[in-house]
Amino acid sequence: MNDAEEISSGPVAAGEVGLVEARDFVHAQPFTFESGQTLPGFTLRYETYGRLNAARDNTVLVCHALSGDHHCAGIHALTDPKLGWWNNFIGPGKAVDTTRFHVLGANVLGGCQGSTGPSSPNPATGRPFGLAFPFVTIRDMVRAQKLLCDHLGLTALHAVVGGSMGGMQVLQWGIEYPAFVRRLLPLATTAREGAQAIAFNEVGRQAIMQDPEWNHGDYPRGGGPRVGLAVARMMAHITYLSDASMEQKFGRRRAGTADNPAYTFDVQFEVESYLRHQGESFINRFDANSYLYITRALDHFDLPAAYGSLEQAFAPVQAETLCVAFTSDWLFPPEQNREYVLALLRAGKRASYAELAMTLGHDSFLLESGDLYALVRSFLGAPVPS
Amino acid sequence: MNKLVEKRTVDMQIIGDWVEPGSRVLDLGCGRGVLLDYLQQTKQVRGVGVDLDFHKILGCVRRGVTAYQGDLEAFMRAFPDAFFDRVICSRTVQELAAPAAVILEALRVGRALTVGFVNHGYWKNRLDAFFLGRKPRNPVYTTDWFESRPANPVTVDDFEQFCAAKGIRIARRALLRGDWKTRCAFRPNLFAGYALYDLSR
Repeated sequence: MNDAEEISSGPVAAGEVGLVEARDFVHAQPFTFESGQTLPGFTLRYETYGRLNAARDNTVLVCHALSGDHHCAGIHALTDPKLGWWNNFIGPGKAVDTTRFHVLGANVLGGCQGSTGPSSPNPATGRPFGLAFPFVTIRDMVRAQKLLCDHLGLTALHAVVGGSMGGMQVLQWGIEYPAFVRRLLPLATTAREGAQAIAFNEVGRQAIMQDPEWNHGDYPRGGGPRVGLAVARMMAHITYLSDASMEQKFGRRRAGTADNPAYTFDVQFEVESYLRHQGESFINRFDANSYLYITRALDHFDLPAAYGSLEQAFAPVQAETLCVAFTSDWLFPPEQNREYVLALLRAGKRASYAELAMTLGHDSFLLESGDLYALVRSFLGAPVPS
Repeated sequence: MNKLVEKRTVDMQIIGDWVEPGSRVLDLGCGRGVLLDYLQQTKQVRGVGVDLDFHKILGCVRRGVTAYQGDLEAFMRAFPDAFFDRVICSRTVQELAAPAAVILEALRVGRALTVGFVNHGYWKNRLDAFFLGRKPRNPVYTTDWFESRPANPVTVDDFEQFCAAKGIRIARRALLRGDWKTRCAFRPNLFAGYALYDLSR
């Protein structure tokens, strides 16, 4: 059965994937995590857009970042206007062209948007796993995605694409399943989470864990450390932007009314109300324990240490790689992206590197950019020499 | 314009003749990847290009040529000795801020180096300078001084002197007349319009 065909038969507006539906892949066999811990099975929630071809090899797998999910494009209902997080890239005639490619997005293992994670019920107790959930790594996420690909009967992936944590998965895909992947397109990422990025993750985790409502990870679904999670999100969100973009977007503009008294700690600046809004909306859609687990997965990502060196890590890669970095990204700056591209080249692999002068910082890969669209479209469409 | 396209092709053919089939090639200042595309098709090289400009890299990606956006010297520093079978520096040397450093680094990371440049000693260039008293402008150097990148007007004699001083071995040279086609045997510093060198340590 081809899930994609059913979706594409639905109402599709010109240039948009339109109405989309999430599905669940239930893997009913034991899964051993890199940590050695096991689960009796797991669920991955996913979406697909476009048609799978007869050879079943035209899938573009889109890997999401820390706070993203499987909903990459389209809307879920006419009454729910929330567009997928990469809707500007994915659709008929767009950079990731759904008239040519079958696009697959899945919520990561350990996530909280329908895939099995710490907020899922533990079959042993009937209550959420909480801290009983196994430690998850980027490699675990990729191995779970591969099981989904097998379930869908895919014979190869045309490309794996993703930014930030998604980019880590892209690199891991090329290493783990070299014969299955033809193109790797990591954006704004790193092959090794550095001290600064770990430090930011730790502040976020401390905000969550110091909130008494966290209760060592034992809280009812929908409850928990809402204050801590919101603070974690506010802090992390700053690292996704840049000084220049925040200055441009907010400057010192005041929020609220003019008669707002100056000497209080209420919201006074637009940037404050923006961050508070980011925090507020995040706690309604994200689970605090998932945040802990996924940020730990980021921290543990260290390809040179895991394989002896970056060159050794990339030794099995068969795919062609295009890495895109952004000059204003200070979370995973261009230098860290260049480092793994050079290692791929030293390992004798086909790899390209492009750098875009966009001002939004780390989150630039989500922006509208004709140059980035052209690059992604060209890479996905370019011939791969044998 | 057609003449220019033809000149490009002659250039590519000679460069291609000096490339071993299936070898590992680095193109410094690769532009939109036209040369590497040609070498991939005709010589099945495993190539990578380097250029500073995003849109040049985009052109390469579109052609199926791998390319790296960044500084030539920083790129080469990331590779061990003799990693590439051949480095190509076609019509790039005259625009480099530090040509000697790039050439020497290219001879470290490459077993062989192809350098191609327009001979500024060519008689027409001399006459232009003499009679017009202006910076050379021709189908190759189309820009005014104020919109040009750093230009080192190098001549055949200049270049050979440089190679001798640095102990660089000239394995082959292709000195072409003003049509960039016919070989130029007589007083190339004056009569060669274009020069290609095959260098090694």
